Amino acid sequence: MTDQTTTLPDSDQKSKEAYFTASQGQLIWARFKKQRAAMIAAMVLVVLILSGLFAPFLSPYNPTIAGKNDEYTNGAPQIPQFCDDAGCSLRPFVYSVERERSMATNFRWVTKINTEDRKYIQFFVEGWDYKLFGFIPMDTHLFGAPEGFVHIFGTDSTGKDIFSRTLHAIWTSMQVGSIGVFIAFVLALVIGGISGYYGGWIDSVLQMITDAVRTVPAIPLFMAVAAFMPPEISAEARFFYISLILGFIGWPTLARRVRTHLLTERNQEYVLAAQLCGASSGHVIRRHLLPSFTSYIIVDLVISFPYMVLSETALSFIGLGLKDPVNSLGVMLQNVTNADVLLNYQWYFIPVIFFIALVMAFVFVGDGLRDAADPYSDTHK
Amino acid sequence: MSDLITVQNLTLKFRTDEGLITAVEDVSFRVRKGEVMGLVGESGSGKSVTAKALMHLNAKNAVYTPESKIILHTDEGEVDVLALRKASEMKVVRGGAISMIFQEPMASFAPAISIGKQMIEQLMLHSDMTKAQARTHSIEMLDRVGISDPHKRVDQFAFELSGGMRQRAMIAMALSTQPKLLIADEPTTALDVTIQAQVIDLMKDLVTEFDMGIIFITHDLGVVAQTADYVSVMYLGRLIEKGPVREVIRDPRHPYTQGLIAALPKLDDLESPLTPVPGDIPSPLERPPGCVFNTRCSKIVGDQCMSVLPPDVKVDPVHRVACHIYKEEGQA
Amino acid sequence: MSNDMIISARDLSVGFQIGTGIFNKHILKAVDSVSVDIETGSFFGLVGESGSGKTTLGRAFLKAVPITNGTATYDDGEVALDLATLDGPALKDYRKRAQLIFQDPYAALSPRMTVRDIIAEPLEVMGLTNSRAETDDRVREIAAKCRLNLEHLRRFPHAFSGGQRQRISIARALVSGPKFVVADESVAALDVSIQADVLNLLKELQRDLGITFMFISHDLSVVAHTCDHVAVMYLGRLVESAPTRQLFEAPRHPYTKALFSAIPSLDPDDDKSAQKLDGEIPSPTNQPPGCKFHTRCPFAVDRCKIEEPKLEHADGTGHEVACHRWVELMEQHAL
Repeated sequence: MTDQTTTLPDSDQKSKEAYFTASQGQLIWARFKKQRAAMIAAMVLVVLILSGLFAPFLSPYNPTIAGKNDEYTNGAPQIPQFCDDAGCSLRPFVYSVERERSMATNFRWVTKINTEDRKYIQFFVEGWDYKLFGFIPMDTHLFGAPEGFVHIFGTDSTGKDIFSRTLHAIWTSMQVGSIGVFIAFVLALVIGGISGYYGGWIDSVLQMITDAVRTVPAIPLFMAVAAFMPPEISAEARFFYISLILGFIGWPTLARRVRTHLLTERNQEYVLAAQLCGASSGHVIRRHLLPSFTSYIIVDLVISFPYMVLSETALSFIGLGLKDPVNSLGVMLQNVTNADVLLNYQWYFIPVIFFIALVMAFVFVGDGLRDAADPYSDTHK
Repeated sequence: MSDLITVQNLTLKFRTDEGLITAVEDVSFRVRKGEVMGLVGESGSGKSVTAKALMHLNAKNAVYTPESKIILHTDEGEVDVLALRKASEMKVVRGGAISMIFQEPMASFAPAISIGKQMIEQLMLHSDMTKAQARTHSIEMLDRVGISDPHKRVDQFAFELSGGMRQRAMIAMALSTQPKLLIADEPTTALDVTIQAQVIDLMKDLVTEFDMGIIFITHDLGVVAQTADYVSVMYLGRLIEKGPVREVIRDPRHPYTQGLIAALPKLDDLESPLTPVPGDIPSPLERPPGCVFNTRCSKIVGDQCMSVLPPDVKVDPVHRVACHIYKEEGQA
Repeated sequence: MSNDMIISARDLSVGFQIGTGIFNKHILKAVDSVSVDIETGSFFGLVGESGSGKTTLGRAFLKAVPITNGTATYDDGEVALDLATLDGPALKDYRKRAQLIFQDPYAALSPRMTVRDIIAEPLEVMGLTNSRAETDDRVREIAAKCRLNLEHLRRFPHAFSGGQRQRISIARALVSGPKFVVADESVAALDVSIQADVLNLLKELQRDLGITFMFISHDLSVVAHTCDHVAVMYLGRLVESAPTRQLFEAPRHPYTKALFSAIPSLDPDDDKSAQKLDGEIPSPTNQPPGCKFHTRCPFAVDRCKIEEPKLEHADGTGHEVACHRWVELMEQHAL
């Protein structure tokens, strides 16, 4: 008895063969591609990640104090335009801005936009020095206005460009999130893995520890840590410690998931089949158990990412997290709580839109992955 | 009219990632009062899908063709099951006129609610009994299906009963609303053979007592021979042979039915070798053109088997076969 | 018995501890004092319903579950091993010689490995080959024997039907060249038309490769057609054991007779209701005293409720029965 010969056209046969030889990863990707919301979210995510990665290149100004613009503090966003009363031009431009202290407004700065003076935006300009990816020294930026200044999202109270800060903040949050997720993941894998694989009293003890860690309240913990952290440590070191702590708090949930996956998979018959060949625990774990829940763990990771980002945001917002010059959304939002900002400088909130987009993108991609990750659920008899 | 349900030209496809898969194609049959019809088929035959269609229970991605008709004949008139859209209309059909029992009784009882509660709930939904009346009726039904200590069992949970008892409890629950038609989807497959025999006897008794019709879905021809009056054989979504059970089993006409019966190990002839039906059932993605059995048939008569759908031929007054070998009223 | 016995068990018991906590230890005896001999090169059938312990017995012979009492030995002419105390390198060696074919063709194959890798895994884990080329050769060889072609080797399990998957399972079990293979309900999940095919394949492989099969099933008709010798189990005990022909022509134990009569016959007019059993199978955690079958046996007397019957020889042809009354029942022709 051999395969029945099919009289299907070649293309059909090829696609069927492709289906038969598709590995699990390929099947998941094929299913994922069919979900429109998830694909759009994935593209948004890629765009955001790339803009974070290339943040220094895309930012016309240095996001730290070093790049502040004394002449344009709390400045409104400058929208580049192509045309105005004096005619159109191929290059986008903004107007120059002058300020003076005005009596009428109690000696506050009043900015006047000088519509006669165009400042052209140029591309690939030289600007402040930075290291691309952390090690390639460059000073070219995508755009800038060498003769004046261009602040697409406006500036804050010290004159720092919000657009540049937003891009860098995305990148910082992503880094903190990644480190946190990575640490949580490693801990979860080890602890949940041992728990799920060996069961018995080891499982009971580890579960008790897991539950204990999970009940630790985050805010008081951070306040304690903040109290203990010496103020002299550099912003980068602080950044690293915050990520570490987030990871140490985040592992219980993941560990529980890993353990559950392992407990189900370890009783599958194909695991017993491997054990009956005399396979060692290591082989069983490596070849059978780990691949079996990789897809679920990836989903879990993607979904826990936004929680890390939001936790870090919340911490920095209340001052327990990152501080200047390290830049994150939380840091940027530290100054928005006064009425002055709410009434007058609404552009401070523009970064929030980006973060909503980032978190939603992660959530949609995670959901899409979770839906796609069960390609075997409907092929059973 | 003693017809309970009439199925005409039922064709059903599923929309999946791999495309539109035909699960059932052009199936027609009818079941009368007091009649047990066995719906026999192997995996991929479409028998479960057909059964679920009778109660409009298939998943949302199921697509019915416009010619498909399922007519339920009730005392109040005829109901076109596939045209029902609202849940309130379907209530008449599901659990009211038609009841269904499944292969895995553990799956149809909610694990955290006692059996009694579930039966009472069902009764109160479909009739105007009070709670007390429903409880009495439920205990009666449990007793009727042979469960010992029904007063105690009615308050127990599904996991406290053994497999056979659970299946009986499910039959009790299905029958408590006095349906006209019972659809039993592989009810004995998961049971031990000694318990299976008991449940089969029980079902036969209940048919006579309640004058119901039963559609008994199974892959086991032995069970069908013992319980059914009529048998319909399905293969890859098509109904390829149907007729009285004695005729179909003693004188099968379709090569698939013949192959199926020949492949069964028989206790009265231990020496004869086992003869499988050659080949494998094609994947639903690779439905053969023409007669769906042509990839495995050893009695192909010509090109028409590969390209033309075989007509439904009457070989005896109530025995029909879909095969090119036969001509109307003729012989092979 | 002058024939070689590849597996010999005496008073074999397998118990599981159920109930948690220090004071609530309850032993569930899945297999209770079973003595059985499996002849080398035979096709041995083990029949029973749920709770009979047949799966556990099979796994005990493979050392997939620990043996709590009694002895079992494996002797294939090359090595003789004591299964109860097998451990360490001897156990590793045993794994090459004894393998298992599972029931569920869907759960027994790792969905993330290609068929080639699945079949090759035993070779790689046990280090039976020296190079990838050698592994590939052996895989191809056994796959061909199981009627799987080269194309199939590249595919993943989801591409195959139940019958094909079972053949992959068989190929995996046989690739290491075992002498003793336990087939645990290996055709139960298959369609009837495919079942016959897989059974024929197993018989063919037995002839080609000289393997002893222990075929566990609840389906008497299947066992009748494939096995040389059949043993019937009920609630952990062996109740009857005989060469197939004999068992089917003249069953001696009331349970065996009831099992036969319960099989639904293809003849609609065949009425065997007189022999059908009432009642449920007792739970393995709550076994009745005396003969385990007395709660459902139509011929039980007082002695059956107190004393457990021993396995006795009948005829001297290898037919063994465990019933107090089998002689009188036979003479009475009560059935």
